[in-house]
Amino acid sequence: MITAFGVISASDRVSRVEGLEDYRPVGAFSFIGRYRVIDFMISNMSNSGIDQIKVFTGSNPLPITEHVGSGRQYNINSKRGHLHILFSKHAYAYNLYNTGITSYKDNIDVIEQMPQEYVVIAPSYMVYTADYAELLQTHVESCADITMLYQAVDTAREEFLTNYTLTTDKDRRVTSFEPNNGAAKSRNIFMDTYIMKKTMFLVLIERALKTSSLYSLANIVADSLNSLDVRGVPHRGYLASINDFLDYYEANMRLINYDAAQDLFKPGWTIYTRTNDSPPTRYLETAIVTNSIVSNGSVIEGTVENSIIGRNCVIERGAKIKNCIILGSTRVGRNTLIENHVVDKHVRIDNIKKIVGDASYPGYVRRGDRI
Amino acid sequence: MKRNNMIAMILAGGRGSRLYDLTNKLAKPAVSYGGKYRIIDFPLSNCANSGIDVIGVLTQYESIFLNSYVTVDSRWGLDSNDAGIYVLPPREKAGENLNIYRGTADAITQNIDFIDNENPDFVLILSGDHIYKMNYDKMLREHISSFADASIAVIDVPKQEASRFGIMNADATGRILEFEEKPAHPKSTLASMGIYIFNWKLLRKLLIADDKNNKSSHDFGKDLIPQMLKDNRILHAYKFKGYWKDVGTIDSLWEANMDLLDPQTELNLNDETWKIYTEDTNDLPQYMGPEAVIKKAYITQGCVVEGEVTGSILFTGVKVGKGAKIIDSVLMPGVVIEEGAVITRALVADGVRIAKNTVAGKAGSEHITLVASDIKEEPKETPKESAKESVKDGKDSKDNKSAKDVRPAKESVSVKEERSAKK
Repeated sequence: MITAFGVISASDRVSRVEGLEDYRPVGAFSFIGRYRVIDFMISNMSNSGIDQIKVFTGSNPLPITEHVGSGRQYNINSKRGHLHILFSKHAYAYNLYNTGITSYKDNIDVIEQMPQEYVVIAPSYMVYTADYAELLQTHVESCADITMLYQAVDTAREEFLTNYTLTTDKDRRVTSFEPNNGAAKSRNIFMDTYIMKKTMFLVLIERALKTSSLYSLANIVADSLNSLDVRGVPHRGYLASINDFLDYYEANMRLINYDAAQDLFKPGWTIYTRTNDSPPTRYLETAIVTNSIVSNGSVIEGTVENSIIGRNCVIERGAKIKNCIILGSTRVGRNTLIENHVVDKHVRIDNIKKIVGDASYPGYVRRGDRI
Repeated sequence: MKRNNMIAMILAGGRGSRLYDLTNKLAKPAVSYGGKYRIIDFPLSNCANSGIDVIGVLTQYESIFLNSYVTVDSRWGLDSNDAGIYVLPPREKAGENLNIYRGTADAITQNIDFIDNENPDFVLILSGDHIYKMNYDKMLREHISSFADASIAVIDVPKQEASRFGIMNADATGRILEFEEKPAHPKSTLASMGIYIFNWKLLRKLLIADDKNNKSSHDFGKDLIPQMLKDNRILHAYKFKGYWKDVGTIDSLWEANMDLLDPQTELNLNDETWKIYTEDTNDLPQYMGPEAVIKKAYITQGCVVEGEVTGSILFTGVKVGKGAKIIDSVLMPGVVIEEGAVITRALVADGVRIAKNTVAGKAGSEHITLVASDIKEEPKETPKESAKESVKDGKDSKDNKSAKDVRPAKESVSVKEERSAKK
């Protein structure tokens, strides 16, 4: 039997999500109300039969640690399986040397000790569903050194601007691998997901460190296209790469349409998350809720239109929420209009009655604010 | 066992036969309630929140689902060392045949060995089919300070309803002087909630004596408590204030669900300090479509609403199609209401599918309509208005498929059959 362990990689992103990322890494961002971004990659692994998962945390490990915990919510066998959160010794914010490769190097003994022959590496800032068992099968059959997952998009001019793109030949060999420069609209976006042997992973880590202290895994793979057999496998379906604030907003809003959401949520492919034991949501007589996603534990007395409401929110009478993402435990007071905004957790809006952002670039309300 | 040296024994063996098809293949404590819960989540969560971490669940009637449900003790946080939920169905013992539980007291008697193993000072006896939030630790404190042999939780009920309950007549200190089961002329309005705390050593003796008594029906309310009063034991009434419902009928189950629509309800499930825990179903959040109309509703994750929902409770994974109308109804987990169907004053059982443009239930009906099987699309010649009330009395219910048996699209229980059942 072919076996692999999973790695949720420490991010080598060059961009930041304004506001939200001041409080937590992208993996711990709330996603369509009840999930966190990292739930998707861990669930993909769990559903693919990978029950040894190494989660590498970046510069702010606490929110991920808190959410992922022992990992029992991800349906991993509690004896044979194990979810392991790994910290980097260089884990301080914005440190030049705080790269994915250094965090792997800091925990190299953990990787070396894994009994599985293969490793699946997936990012904590992307949202998609994919069966890694299938991908692993393809990888082994192709005899490639490295298999990379990508998706063909025709929005590469406006989106995925800091992601890598790749081209493949007719044998699916990767012929070029470089950052998206936004010059063309159709590109194959690399989904920051690799399959390789554990031994190859270890070699790449060492090689990257010898080449440059600032090299990422992508950098060293790009350097190795001529010396290694690197293949690309296309993916279809919903894909979001949360590189900046607008990506976050749009990645959520795209899923408000239930039919569109079927592109991400596949039958038999459960996305697990930590339960909060919130009761159902209570809608009062005056509630008007259309085209929206609502999480449990909320009380809705006002109007919610084309929005996402997180857990345990209160939308009071006469309040109107339009085109917004309201994260958990926020209270919007009476007769308040909020439009085109992301409102972070634990916010109370009472005194200001109108907060309207630009439809093309929504506004942001900080965590715990009183407004 | 921790802290308070008390274990709980939950009586969960009853059928709840007045819930008809809902309990054909399911014990009453496992019946769904309040969007995402099952009734037994309430006593289990109360125990967990009260610091009681060893719980025996006495099951008998249709126990397969209930047994597997309560065994996952991590749901209620009861998976720490020395804690746990133990399923206790009747069992065969050395030198004895398999004895079913003859009554509530007998169920405990047959598990004396289990309780002895835990060796508690106190035993809390609970019913698995009541909906309420209660701190049993407070009751224990009062039990200890009143030097009682046993304490019984009581609740003040309206005078005109008192004759439906077991009524306790107590003195000013709370000592119970008299117990009357469903009295025609009640002397007080303190109704027993079926929640007892006993000193284990004493209860053990009483149970063994009761076991030998051929005239006893081996029931706490009918035999043990009256015997203790006769013996002049100190029985203390612990007064409970708050929401408490015994949902014995379709009407009362519907009503208890409707109570959750009231933002002022005494049953506050949003209280962070006293959460009710349940199974996590890993469903999507609620989806409200572009044409959705939602007024006065209690809706949980996994629901997709594209039609109109008024005064209703939607359980996990309910789908309401475009143009469908759900009025004053309770839709249990996995119910699918197709486009244009209208459901009024009904309780629709788990997994039932209601076809396009059909109708179930009736506005202003005396009783709530129980819909326990799929409703298929009507043949053209059938007039639309004919309400398809599903059977509600016991003798007919065997003809009908049980709620649990119903799997959408596979069932062929026809409109005709339901109509004949109605006669």
